Amino acid sequence: MTRFGWLLVALAAVAAVAAPFFLKPFGIFLISTWVVQTIAAIGLNLTLGYAGQISLAQGAFVGIGAYTVALLTPLGVPFLVAFAAAGLLCFAVGWVLGYPALRVQHHYLAFVTLAFTTLVFLVLRNEEWLTNGIYGITGTPRPNLFGWKTGGARDFYFLCLGVLALLSVATWWMLRSPWGRAFVALRENPIRALSLGLDTRRYTLMAFAIGSSLGGFAGALYAPLVQFIEPNSFSLGLSFNLLLMVIVGGSGNFFGPFVGALIAVLLPEWLRITQGYYLIVYAAAVMVMMAFCPAGVLGLAERAVLLLRRGSKVAGAIP
Amino acid sequence: MTAVLEVSNMRKTFGGIVAVDDVSFEVRAGEILGIIGPNGSGKSTLFNCVLGQLQPSAGDVRIEGNLTTGMRPCDLNRLGVSRTFQLLQVFPQLSVRDNLILAGQEHQGSMASRLFGQPDAGLSGDAARMIEFFRLSHLADEQAGSLSYGQQKLLDAAMAFMAGPRLVLLDEPAGGVNLTMLGQLRERLHAYHAERNATFVVIEHQMEFVMALCTRVLVLAEGRIIAEGKPQDIRRNPIVIEAYLGH
Amino acid sequence: MASFIQLLVSGLATGAIYALIAVGFTLLWQTSQTINFAQGEFVMLPAFFVLAAMNAGAPFWMAGLIGIALSILILGILFKVIIVDPMLKYGVLPLVISTIALSLFLKESAKDLYSSQAQPFPALVPAVDIHVFDAVVSTQSLAVLAVAIVTVVALNLLLNSTRVGRQMQATAQNPTLARILGVPVKRMVLYTFLLNAVLVAIASILISPIYLAKFTNGETLGIAAFIAAIIGGFNQVRGAILGGVILGVLDNLSAAYISSQYRGALPLIILIIVILLRPQGLLGRVEERSV
Repeated sequence: MTRFGWLLVALAAVAAVAAPFFLKPFGIFLISTWVVQTIAAIGLNLTLGYAGQISLAQGAFVGIGAYTVALLTPLGVPFLVAFAAAGLLCFAVGWVLGYPALRVQHHYLAFVTLAFTTLVFLVLRNEEWLTNGIYGITGTPRPNLFGWKTGGARDFYFLCLGVLALLSVATWWMLRSPWGRAFVALRENPIRALSLGLDTRRYTLMAFAIGSSLGGFAGALYAPLVQFIEPNSFSLGLSFNLLLMVIVGGSGNFFGPFVGALIAVLLPEWLRITQGYYLIVYAAAVMVMMAFCPAGVLGLAERAVLLLRRGSKVAGAIP
Repeated sequence: MTAVLEVSNMRKTFGGIVAVDDVSFEVRAGEILGIIGPNGSGKSTLFNCVLGQLQPSAGDVRIEGNLTTGMRPCDLNRLGVSRTFQLLQVFPQLSVRDNLILAGQEHQGSMASRLFGQPDAGLSGDAARMIEFFRLSHLADEQAGSLSYGQQKLLDAAMAFMAGPRLVLLDEPAGGVNLTMLGQLRERLHAYHAERNATFVVIEHQMEFVMALCTRVLVLAEGRIIAEGKPQDIRRNPIVIEAYLGH
Repeated sequence: MASFIQLLVSGLATGAIYALIAVGFTLLWQTSQTINFAQGEFVMLPAFFVLAAMNAGAPFWMAGLIGIALSILILGILFKVIIVDPMLKYGVLPLVISTIALSLFLKESAKDLYSSQAQPFPALVPAVDIHVFDAVVSTQSLAVLAVAIVTVVALNLLLNSTRVGRQMQATAQNPTLARILGVPVKRMVLYTFLLNAVLVAIASILISPIYLAKFTNGETLGIAAFIAAIIGGFNQVRGAILGGVILGVLDNLSAAYISSQYRGALPLIILIIVILLRPQGLLGRVEERSV
């Protein structure tokens, strides 16, 4: 990462903190949605971009996290406990799902997660005694943390932003550690990695389980954010959206999820001119992007920077 | 004294093709065993079966007396078995130093210590020593992908040695390397072998390399062992000459 | 007993359709490493081609042929040339993601460019009930079963008794070896795509009278195809047929005996069980471990 890159990140951070003071409530809601989706996308990026596995269940994990918090907090469970429970539950479920699926090749995880998401949706919809079915759960309270009431739009946004910052740092730490090196290895050359003693199966499983728990954390924030959750929000559609977010932003790139989520949140607004055809345009754009620049928007940016640098080198060499 | 590596009645078929046919041999501690043979004689398949890359159709592999047939390559590696690859397999995006740390990190501690411990897994010193041993010091921070082919071959060998293995299987280490590098590579392999009393098994095509490096040679043809002995005897063996010329 | 026979027959009919979809999916995977996540939408779409042709005035039989032809062109040739070929150099992962995007694209296109409402689709034969051993079986089920069986038999003949078919099989089993043996691998791969396009078009025409032509059909049909392929054994065409039939029968039986709310759950649970206990499927070979 160049100094210019870090400067951009610093600027973005400042913008993120300052934004809610300049936006109306709907705008604050939008950026809060961006934060929550980024958390889920960071998780999926771990699974897809770093471990090279396709998960179509991230939407379901967001749902599990959301319902966990929505069901526990009215019972008097403190938000932090419910939040942690959401993440832990999704980690465990991810582990159980991934363990058999990753023993085989052929991207079986994609199919298992596809089936799992649909099953979760069916359970959420049918088990009304637990989840209230299609009527959903309303009014999940925003937490009161050590005296800080997060009921207001701005306050809750800062809570979400704080969680995002914490989880980002944790993820950055993980990627800097020997685990990060292991992920690069198993993504680039799993055969060589194995021959060096790297248990590719275990690292992939951990990436998937951790990625899934991040989905749970995102869901835990989502419930008090929108304060009305129902099964349809967590179906395959959300999983697809998150997947496209990670891809478009730049899979395997640390900042990819941030960019991808931003595009996904703003896109419906930008593409209002296409009158609701935006999903077609989005899907077509993804296909085109995969053909020319599978590394996503940030990949394109990297290429552009390289070109510029080369150009300036040449220009500098000419007396 | 148990052999370091013992292969018994190894057999591997792909559909109707028999790639390895009832191969048995032993490798004793400290040996440098060469395996030669014309193209298609089953050398690489044999290697892959020993190393857990492929499941043998029949037969057993024993490492220091322990049955290891079909063990996953990563588990074998942690038992002290290492390999180099015919086609270059360094990690081009990582620096030379990071490649070496990667090669050693899975032998230290646990998953947890790797997550919460030092970013270099405490291996910076070992990596530096290995870099120096293979005379790559001036390239330590370069991306592995930017090294020359010969330098990458040296790095490949260095990675295989990083965890201090007792048994190293080298798959065509001399392939595509120019003469000067070849001399350096052979000399470094000898040095490592002497220093650690390691055991090597080498697949090679280049006769001079094999003759200069190996203490004993096995000849494979059409999946079977057709000759075995000291390098100079093998070179004069009429069956071996026939096998090579016949193909 | 009577209702059991009814369910069995309609289950076999559905199963045969699943088999067609699963076979095409398996062939694409075997010959060109293409995991086509849009396979469900591939089955959803040709029905709309047929409906559009009929709207333009063509009689059903002609519209059907037009539907198959358009399918070959768009879902066979265009799919291969525009999406698969350019993508393959990047590896399997980008291609899978492209097909996921493609499934979304096709689904939304059908919804926005044709209709979001379920469209009635003409049946092959007028629906008349026949009485067999006290059971009431609809001619529709029998017709679907007949056409599907004929297609499967023809498929088997093609793959096993013709030179082209055997070359396709060789390409599917081991492309490198096939190339060495002189099989025109590139052409065989193209034929696989064309064959898949024909199979999905036939499946579409058979299933749309029952399910109605809806843009969301792809979701359920796609999952059915994947599950059938995996149950049968990911690398076996015969397995795909077996998997499809088993799935169809179980699906129909479960509809009768399990609450309708969880109707779609049984195939999913079967999938998870198969992957847990016998990932190579019923007929698949245990894969060489390469990682």
